[in-house]
Amino acid sequence: MQPATKLLKSARELSLSFDELFILLALVILTLFFGLTAENFFSMSTLFSILAQLPTLTVITIGMTLVLISGGIDLSVGSVVALSSAIIGISFSVLELPFFLAAVLGIFAGGCVGLVNGILGSYFRLPIFIVTLGMLEISRGMTYMITTSQTVYIGPTIQWLSLPIPGLGISVSFVIALIVVVVAQLLLTRTVFGRYLIAIGTNETAAKISGIRTEPYLASVLVVSGMLAGIGGLMSASYLGASDPNAAIGLELSAIAAAVIGGTSLMGGRGSVIGAFIGVLIISVLQNGLAQLGVSEPSKRLITGMVIILAVLIDRWRHR
Amino acid sequence: MSSCLEVAGLKKSFAGPILRGLKLQIKAKTIHGLVGENGAGKSTFINIVSGLLDPDGGSVKLNGRSFKPRSRRESLNQGVALASQELSLIDNLSVAENIFLSALPTKNCRIDIAELRYNAKELLNMVGLEERLLEAPVVNLSLAEKQLVELAKALSLPIDQTSLLILDEPTAALSSFQAERLHNILLDWAHQGVSILYVSHRLEDVLSVCDEVSVLHDGEIKLTTAASQLTSNRLIKVMTGKEPQRQGQDMPRAYGDTRLRVEDLSSRDLPQSVSLECHSGEILGVAGLSGSGRSELLHAIYGFGLERKGSVILCGVGQGAKSQVEINSPSEAVKNGIGLIAEDRKSQGIFASQTLSMNVTVAGLGKLGKGLNALLPDREKQRTMHLISSLKIKCLGPSQDIDRLSGGNQQKALLARWLEVGASVWLLDEPTRGVDAESKLAIYRLLRELRDRGVALIIVSSEMDELTDVCDRILVMSNKKHVDTFTRGHWSKTLLLEAAFSEYKTKELA
Repeated sequence: MQPATKLLKSARELSLSFDELFILLALVILTLFFGLTAENFFSMSTLFSILAQLPTLTVITIGMTLVLISGGIDLSVGSVVALSSAIIGISFSVLELPFFLAAVLGIFAGGCVGLVNGILGSYFRLPIFIVTLGMLEISRGMTYMITTSQTVYIGPTIQWLSLPIPGLGISVSFVIALIVVVVAQLLLTRTVFGRYLIAIGTNETAAKISGIRTEPYLASVLVVSGMLAGIGGLMSASYLGASDPNAAIGLELSAIAAAVIGGTSLMGGRGSVIGAFIGVLIISVLQNGLAQLGVSEPSKRLITGMVIILAVLIDRWRHR
Repeated sequence: MSSCLEVAGLKKSFAGPILRGLKLQIKAKTIHGLVGENGAGKSTFINIVSGLLDPDGGSVKLNGRSFKPRSRRESLNQGVALASQELSLIDNLSVAENIFLSALPTKNCRIDIAELRYNAKELLNMVGLEERLLEAPVVNLSLAEKQLVELAKALSLPIDQTSLLILDEPTAALSSFQAERLHNILLDWAHQGVSILYVSHRLEDVLSVCDEVSVLHDGEIKLTTAASQLTSNRLIKVMTGKEPQRQGQDMPRAYGDTRLRVEDLSSRDLPQSVSLECHSGEILGVAGLSGSGRSELLHAIYGFGLERKGSVILCGVGQGAKSQVEINSPSEAVKNGIGLIAEDRKSQGIFASQTLSMNVTVAGLGKLGKGLNALLPDREKQRTMHLISSLKIKCLGPSQDIDRLSGGNQQKALLARWLEVGASVWLLDEPTRGVDAESKLAIYRLLRELRDRGVALIIVSSEMDELTDVCDRILVMSNKKHVDTFTRGHWSKTLLLEAAFSEYKTKELA
């Protein structure tokens, strides 16, 4: 057997589709490009810098991807990251609750925001774009309230989550993010829940006629997204060693960009968790690579924007 | 006499041919009636003349010149005014703004409100709408008022700029008084030189106001005669085409116990309640013109519909007291073995850009349990392969995108979906619409096979031949009302059509 077909076959067994392989190829090319042009791109410090920023964006992108596949959108996740981080900071540093309890509280708060989004969106049939836009403001406002707009210092007691595990080189946060990727991919491709999300996102009327009660599924996918943003808050607090009420502003847009680069359709019904994760990697590699090439901040944003549009163009062309 | 519109050899196909070389001549200064069954091609013809569709072939001449409008605007500029059946009004704009939407009067780059109100007031008086409605948003109007606004909109083009006025079901929502008022306007307009194409299901209206009437059947004009020489019975006979040859199946068949009992079912879209029973091993047909409430009835049975009242009871599902289940939502329906194939395959049936196997197995997933239960990909593939071969679905395999299949094969995939569930009651809305002839026969075979296995089927169809061919009983809806039920051997196409038209006869003064 040819090595290429062999590789293809083993990729298929990992249930990687052609779409995902295509994005993976784009990532490899991008990495090689920066490796050849930037002097120190293939160094431990670059790797650590990429890995340290990844976990928060990864978990909220996964939540976003699931919501997009179901035909919705969740604009509140950036603010929920800050809210969860603030709740964890206050309850751990100020109220002196045990770390574990503080973390659970933060994630729970994220889930609650998601539940409100979900109930308003599916049972009250309000447009989910507007509901989550409102919740973006509400969550940020609540964050400023409970932190009195000050950064809450937590310190090294929480930073162990973001530090590399000795001998392994990657952090606990990163391991958690990887687990989330794998679990979400299995949820999407191997369970009735995932299949129903795809069905509802593709054609809600046909899904109803096929006997699917759409409301609970649409509500629960937003709860999942909220809880993942809560986990993102924990990761952000640990990375900074503090709860910054201004953290993760606009992160929901990066998550949408990563999901779209990863082949997820904003119209619903199509998308991949693995693809979205590769999308996160592409964005991070691009940011770090451009920084190492000495590209200015304005040009970096310009190029990132063009890459997002290019990705959608290629995607449209491939699905003609 | 010169002709206003001259159409020859007009052809248009979608999934199948709709217009097969239509030939029609509308004389100048006359009112020309056009009648025909559902699916005869009336709407397609109107859409081509009004610039919403391109024909596949043939020629259209307007006032002697070749006429090929590429948009509604182009057609309007050449003087073709249209009052459409699907009202083209914008809910949030006022009545006056709607009437003049295509030519709002302006002064200094702003809408000239005074001029707009003055012109609109005149038109409202003409069609008989109260002046106080001038500024009202259209959304607050009743259906009859909306129809009058739509008519006012078509009449807003000045007479000297109008060469052809097309009215599609103009009196559907009007009282006889309002209809008569409209007819007087039309006679006046025709007298002043406008030609009018009057399309309607209300045969009496057509006969009373039109100079000439044409009957469209199966994409061709079968008859054009002066209205004075016609009766509505004659029109119905021509509309149905040939009486079908009597086949040996005219004896009523025996069927089993009651499977589905519908009692006093109504909803917002089905205002008059319907009761019916469908038996195991029976095919019950639902006939009626489009918009007569057929699809709404199926949807209400399935558990859809706002303000749904009455009861739908599935009988004989289990033993003893549990043998009857009430159905209140689509998910309950599916769980208890009722399946619906909706009218619009694309928007209500298939999951586009998903695989064939996903499309076929999705409704049966409920049996695997909810939520986190694992899918069984091997079983899915196996079941899909089995259904592909038993229904002879032409495809490359279970993982092919459903979009790549032909209409007929997509429809077979939808049938396969309910076979996979093992549904014992099937509700089918236009099961052979847009399906090629071969698949059509295969679908009929399958439906009969299901019936012989004791399944209860309810079929809505616009094709009378289809219903008289496969059904044991046919229920007729007319104007959202259940008017009659016929048993095999006691029906003819003429009787069925008469029943279907019965509630559209001119209403008494409202």
